[in-house]
Amino acid sequence: MNSLDLLTAAFSGIRTNTKRTAMTMLGIIIGVAAVVLMISIGRSFESYILSQIDSFGTNTMDIIPTGFEKFGGNLESLTIEDYERVKRLSTVEHVVPVIIVGKPVGYGREERTPMVFGATESIFGNYGLEIDQGRLLDSADEEGALHSAVVAYQTSLDLFGNRNPLGERITIGEESFTVVGTLQSVGSLLLSDMDKPVFIPFSTARIVSGQDHLSYMTLKTVGDPDIAKRDITELLRDRHRIKNPENDPDKDDFIARSAEQVTSIVSSVTMGLTVFLALIACISLLVGGIGIMNIMLVTVTERTREIGLRKAIGARPRDILLQFLAESVALTCTGGIIGILLGAGTGWMLSQIANRVLGEFHFVLSLSAIASAFAMAVVTGLVFGVYPARKASRLDPIEALRYE
Amino acid sequence: MPSLISLSGLHKSYFNDEVETAVLHGIDLEIDTGEFIAIMGPSGSGKSTLMHILGFLDRPTAGTYTFLGENTAGKNDDDLAAIRATKVSFVFQAFHLLPRATVLENVLLPLLYHPGIASIDREKYARKAIASVGLSDRAGFLSSQLSGGQKQRVAIARALVTEPALIFADEPTGNLDSASGLQVMEVLEKLNAAGHTIILVTHERTTAEFADRIVHIKDGLIESDTSSHKRRKAGADVKLK
Ligand SMILES: Nc1ncnc2c1ncn2[C@@H]1O[C@H](COP(=O)(O)OP(=O)(O)O)[C@@H](O)[C@H]1O
Ligand SMILES: [Mg+2]
Repeated sequence: MNSLDLLTAAFSGIRTNTKRTAMTMLGIIIGVAAVVLMISIGRSFESYILSQIDSFGTNTMDIIPTGFEKFGGNLESLTIEDYERVKRLSTVEHVVPVIIVGKPVGYGREERTPMVFGATESIFGNYGLEIDQGRLLDSADEEGALHSAVVAYQTSLDLFGNRNPLGERITIGEESFTVVGTLQSVGSLLLSDMDKPVFIPFSTARIVSGQDHLSYMTLKTVGDPDIAKRDITELLRDRHRIKNPENDPDKDDFIARSAEQVTSIVSSVTMGLTVFLALIACISLLVGGIGIMNIMLVTVTERTREIGLRKAIGARPRDILLQFLAESVALTCTGGIIGILLGAGTGWMLSQIANRVLGEFHFVLSLSAIASAFAMAVVTGLVFGVYPARKASRLDPIEALRYE
Repeated sequence: MPSLISLSGLHKSYFNDEVETAVLHGIDLEIDTGEFIAIMGPSGSGKSTLMHILGFLDRPTAGTYTFLGENTAGKNDDDLAAIRATKVSFVFQAFHLLPRATVLENVLLPLLYHPGIASIDREKYARKAIASVGLSDRAGFLSSQLSGGQKQRVAIARALVTEPALIFADEPTGNLDSASGLQVMEVLEKLNAAGHTIILVTHERTTAEFADRIVHIKDGLIESDTSSHKRRKAGADVKLK
């Protein structure tokens, strides 16, 4: 048998019982589709998150009192003096001190509880927030500790509906503020929290909250973020009298977290998730492979007399082995191709939906996932086809011909 | 010129779970090219066993089998497969056609394993073989759509297509009514007249009489070896030992 004969025999073999062939392939189809889908979704999601983080710029860094997230910003380790000193570092382009005012925001009878950020005007540039109506906070607001407020997109909608918010007076706790501007939506679900805050001048927030320490600082670095981070860490440890040459984060009373770090965390999380999902997909492929083996064993039994005949007319054991191997590989390859189309199609559809919900979500079809899924299908066919094919090739022709 | 087949002291035993079943007890036989020979005997006498050994589907337990002047003792499985692919072929009682394949595809099958015939020539050979059994108009039919007699003629075409030195037919009429059986025997007779060597295995007297020579087997030994009393081929030389 030449290779064309093998191919013909393999496909005519799987054509003889199309319904059963389809059922058998289902396991492989689902397995391969799952591999392609999971990996593509993982990649798409990763690239989405990374592009979102990138919109801040990777040179953004936050300095957070340790435990900030756990205890709601009541830690007092970061001071205004710390901010003044960080500002003077040559590796820091600019730094924004932030006080989070934990008070409700009211307008008429509407009340909301967004984050109220007391911050200097550079916070908008730092977070990539853009003006919609009116103006951003400026140095006059800061220097005069004016009661001016800039309201982010969602909160502006919530409070004012379709009324013009400019010049309206809102309350933050007991204090009254004038809305001087509103922000554009950041346009992504992942960052939708950034559509909620109300921004007031830092100096005003100090007075209103009676708080002297910083909730956190956010800054942009110059040059290598790692060097900036080292400078900042050294400075703050020195100021806080912390000796921590071994860099034990538990000894510090602050952490410096860069966007780059977040990026690598995201990458490793999505990578871990992708590997995990791909592993599950592989297991389903394995199950599919066992299905293939079963059906090939049934096929060999059903075609015992055909095998006997082929041997009687001169087929060598090797010819029979190759014929049945080719058949099981043809099964898994066909299933693999259908599975790839199904997985890619489903992934594309899901990403269209994700794009509607999240915005800016692009489908990343992972070619390496397709190639490896197809390779896995071929290998599955080979591995699970060997046993039935060997069984076929070893049949005694006389007994095989006598088989009823 | 050496005989086509020469057997001496051929023994065959089957071993199942250490239990020996001795079937052939020392067969001596010479068969020449061009013969039409019937091996007769009651059921269970060892006819098929002998044919399987002669046709390289099985090996003798003892004795020598010389085929075309060559001792076959040292041959491995692949060698035997190669001989089956090129030198011998079989017609079985149960036809053994692939039911979902057409007549043409069934007849093409042996050519897949024949190294000497190029792919492009295969169909030409197959159609010629189908024509010689008178089934050209059925070439495109599925073999399951044929009558028993037609199926057996397809099986004969399949046996012919590689132009083997020798065709074995094991009870070829056993599954057929007498009219179809007669037709099949006439095809075999015609093939023999055209020069093919045919070894027929049967337990039916009437079928055996199409052959020129009848070898009787009983209890694994040759009981008699005679020329057929019904001489249909003028001048045919009957070999008797
Ligand atoms: N594989 C086998 N194992 C054991 N005994 C067998 C086997 N094949 C055939 N026999 C026995 O050998 C004897 C001859 O069988 P066979 O050659 O088929 O007879 P025939 O074709 O003359 O009817 C029978 O008794 C049969 O039971
Ligand atoms: Mg028999």
